[in-house]
Amino acid sequence: MRHLLLDFMQWFLLGCAVLCVLRMTTGKTAADKLTGLNVLSGVVLAFLVLRGVRQGRALYLDVALVYDIFGFLGFLAIAHFLEDKISEGNDRGGPPA
Amino acid sequence: MMETIRMTIAFLTFGSAVIFGIAGIVGLFRFPDPYSRLQAGSLCGTTAVFSTFLGALALSPNWAMAARIIIIGFFFLVSSPTGSHIVARFAWNSDIMPWKPPAVPLKKKDRAKKIRRKNRRGKQAGDGQEETP
Repeated sequence: MRHLLLDFMQWFLLGCAVLCVLRMTTGKTAADKLTGLNVLSGVVLAFLVLRGVRQGRALYLDVALVYDIFGFLGFLAIAHFLEDKISEGNDRGGPPA
Repeated sequence: MMETIRMTIAFLTFGSAVIFGIAGIVGLFRFPDPYSRLQAGSLCGTTAVFSTFLGALALSPNWAMAARIIIIGFFFLVSSPTGSHIVARFAWNSDIMPWKPPAVPLKKKDRAKKIRRKNRRGKQAGDGQEETP
């Protein structure tokens, strides 16, 4: 029963991850793609935790923690890079009224 | 007995994770502008993923795993809202307008009521103007 629950949640989170990747590839603006990436990182983190509990190995949980930290740093770097590129031209801040 | 309690907690938390996950993914695809999509996405991220952590915590086989899951959960609670904030600031700085509902033409009854209210207000304002000079 408990293995059934964990397996079902793993498949569900895999489906969510596929949909997030779809959102990332089909999103029109950069903000849409970043939103997809934000959700995707959380979903993959939960998937790794479930996989570790299902297999009974603590190694997956260590990988999940490091993935979370580096994913967050990478996300920060991407957003910073894009923001620098945008704010070269204007520094009004906010959409036009 | 203990196993039954753990299974019940895991079942409830995984059920809420499924509900919130489906809601968040649907919102991610169906909402009209990046801000509301971000709201749906971060809702899905925080609630669904954190419920999954709680369920995994209830099912964890030993204390070493439980402690790791708690640490991951704390770090996730710090990093996920920060990421959402960064995306929202990025969208705001790149001049994306928030969505507004389209103007719907009023029904006949509502339009009559609005005109009546307008007339009444106009008369009152006119009275005021007549009195002041």
